[in-house]
Amino acid sequence: MTARLSRGVPLARRVLFAERRRAALSVAGVAAALLLVLLLDGIFAGAMAANTYYVRTGPADVVVSQSGVRTMHMSTSVLPAGTLEAAREVAGVQWAAPIGFTTGIVANGTGRQLSYVIGYDTTSGRGGPRRLDSGSTPELGEAVLDRIAADQLGVTVGDTVQVIGTPLRVSGLATGGTSIVNTTTFVSRDQLTRLRRPATAYLLVKAEPGASAERVAAGLRVALPNVTVQTRTEFVASESRITRDMSADLLRIMTLLSFGIALAVTALTLLTVTLTRLRDYAVVKALGSSSLRLVRTVSAQAAWTVAAAVVVAVAAAELLSLLLSRLLPTVQVLVTTSSVGRTALWAAVVGVLAALGPLPRLARIDPATAFREAA
Amino acid sequence: MTRAVPLATRTLLAQRRRLIASVLGVGLSIMLMLLLDGMWAGVRAQVTVYEDNAGASLVVVAPGTENLFSDSSVLRSSTVAQVAATPGVRWAAPVRTMYTILDLHDGRIAASLVGSVPGKPGGPWRLARGRAPATDDETTVDGTLAKRHGLRIGADLEVMGREFRIVGLTTTGSTFMTGMVFLTHAAVQQLLSAPGTTGAVLVGTDQPAAVSEALQAQGLTVRTREQLRQADLALMTKVFGSPMKLMVGIALLAGTLVIALTAYGAVVEHRRDFGVVKALGATTSRLSRLALVQSLAVAAAGVVVGLGLFAVGRELVGMWRPQFLILLTGQTITRALLAALVMAVLAALVPARRLAQLDPAAAFRSLP
Repeated sequence: MTARLSRGVPLARRVLFAERRRAALSVAGVAAALLLVLLLDGIFAGAMAANTYYVRTGPADVVVSQSGVRTMHMSTSVLPAGTLEAAREVAGVQWAAPIGFTTGIVANGTGRQLSYVIGYDTTSGRGGPRRLDSGSTPELGEAVLDRIAADQLGVTVGDTVQVIGTPLRVSGLATGGTSIVNTTTFVSRDQLTRLRRPATAYLLVKAEPGASAERVAAGLRVALPNVTVQTRTEFVASESRITRDMSADLLRIMTLLSFGIALAVTALTLLTVTLTRLRDYAVVKALGSSSLRLVRTVSAQAAWTVAAAVVVAVAAAELLSLLLSRLLPTVQVLVTTSSVGRTALWAAVVGVLAALGPLPRLARIDPATAFREAA
Repeated sequence: MTRAVPLATRTLLAQRRRLIASVLGVGLSIMLMLLLDGMWAGVRAQVTVYEDNAGASLVVVAPGTENLFSDSSVLRSSTVAQVAATPGVRWAAPVRTMYTILDLHDGRIAASLVGSVPGKPGGPWRLARGRAPATDDETTVDGTLAKRHGLRIGADLEVMGREFRIVGLTTTGSTFMTGMVFLTHAAVQQLLSAPGTTGAVLVGTDQPAAVSEALQAQGLTVRTREQLRQADLALMTKVFGSPMKLMVGIALLAGTLVIALTAYGAVVEHRRDFGVVKALGATTSRLSRLALVQSLAVAAAGVVVGLGLFAVGRELVGMWRPQFLILLTGQTITRALLAALVMAVLAALVPARRLAQLDPAAAFRSLP
């Protein structure tokens, strides 16, 4: 009988979803709590992707920076004189391109944007924007802005903006360089020297066809012992690690709190469902079902609640990501598989803990309750 | 009957374990909102800590520079003498300020780096132990950063590829995402391979307006302390403002759903009782008020529990991660109370609708 009941009557699901409005409230409540974690994780993942965009999508296989400097974000790098010439001599190097780098404000009458300002060799184009959406490479007195930043400032090709206090004409628009923190502006190396300093900040190195990035990086480390040499993968990992390390504590706090809320909502749902259906459970028990079967029923309810909540939370996060990309284009939300996996794992723990709540009450159920008139 | 039978309270209290779970859920939502709001207030208080304590009324910066740490200002060293010679200037001190990334054994963290001339303003302002850096191979770091990463006086700290010996710890300076590191001005010049330059010139004066005018007349870019503070706050709001509001909004939604779930659960469970009340002549508006009273009661209890949880949570976060300054202001409490009220009213809509649809005949049926 019990076995047939197990296979034939989906008791857990039926009881849970008997009151659809309540079930919807439960799932939405847990989903809202999980959404907090997914969203915060997504915002940091978005910031990480944006911070690494320039090097990640660029043609360089190896990045050379000042000794002890492994990143661009919130960093300053100055390479010793002669680094470029020495790098070009290393076996396996196809080309080495110096870039200048600083941070500053890009502004006009309507707004201001914190920006990386990259000075590159406009003749070769190496170190410049990956692709121009419109316009042309910057000459002296000109700059290429990121499209999102340009939109926010209300400027387009041909307009003038203040780049670190100097009026420059917008010669072109690029994409992918704006994050929640800052944007990216490209100028010629000569222009950056006039704006700030003549120094080379980083060296971008391309390996010859057939030469591996690791081998070229090893050669550069030998030839240039007083600088930091990283392959593109290593450099991107370094940049990502800053965002990850800086956000880790905040994420832990939010996860813990969201976990608490999700736990309270799930426990509340299971308790309410169990209490309102005690008579049904008594009937099941009177028909010969064991306490273990009832435990399985409550566990299945917990699983249904959190599984539905995870699906709703992921869908809501994706929807919010889409909405934010339209309304607040600088806030990029990336819902990653690992983030969803982590959240689902947390949700599973929530389900297990919440299921413990009604168990003592179920264990005490008297099958005779089934034959009494309801109060 | 309104006065004699507290129906709303009784149905809520009928299942205490469920009530505890819901009050806890609302309390956690309120706590989350308070923590986010408090953290945001803390961030805003911490982000201007250098400008607030450097002691300068005015700061001379490179054209276009509006923030001391986010913008990289570069000036000729001769600017310091030019500023000092301006009538009304009591003192002028060069500083280099910028962000840097420290590679520590337990993680990579951002730090606000300050290079100042020993004995002049702009360096560490409140020392817990030790002293300010006097030579170009010494550093003073903020105490929170030191505690978090196990940095001690006498130990070495690597900054941009060079080792510096820690000679002092300050009492303040850390923000939730960055620590503070002080070096000598010359040491930062060496790190940047930029001799003959400085970043900004701090200006001490009793006549800020007149001195600012005189400096600008010489072609220099001058920012008041307030302008720098406002620029820092604007930048911080631009970066974190929207995500923070979004998170608070979702916490509000979660709290609303918890209250709605509780009030709705109580209505479903006691629908026979409510059917009796309706059969006895209670109007839909009376029953809607009942749903509202239940929601308000849960929200009120949630606020009390939330404040308690917030107090405990703030202490725990303070002990675990002291860089998170969480402030409880009158505004924060007002916002939490308003949020609870909004949650209660919104949450009452679902059970009120259920009560409005309730058939009085339910009173005379056996429960399914």
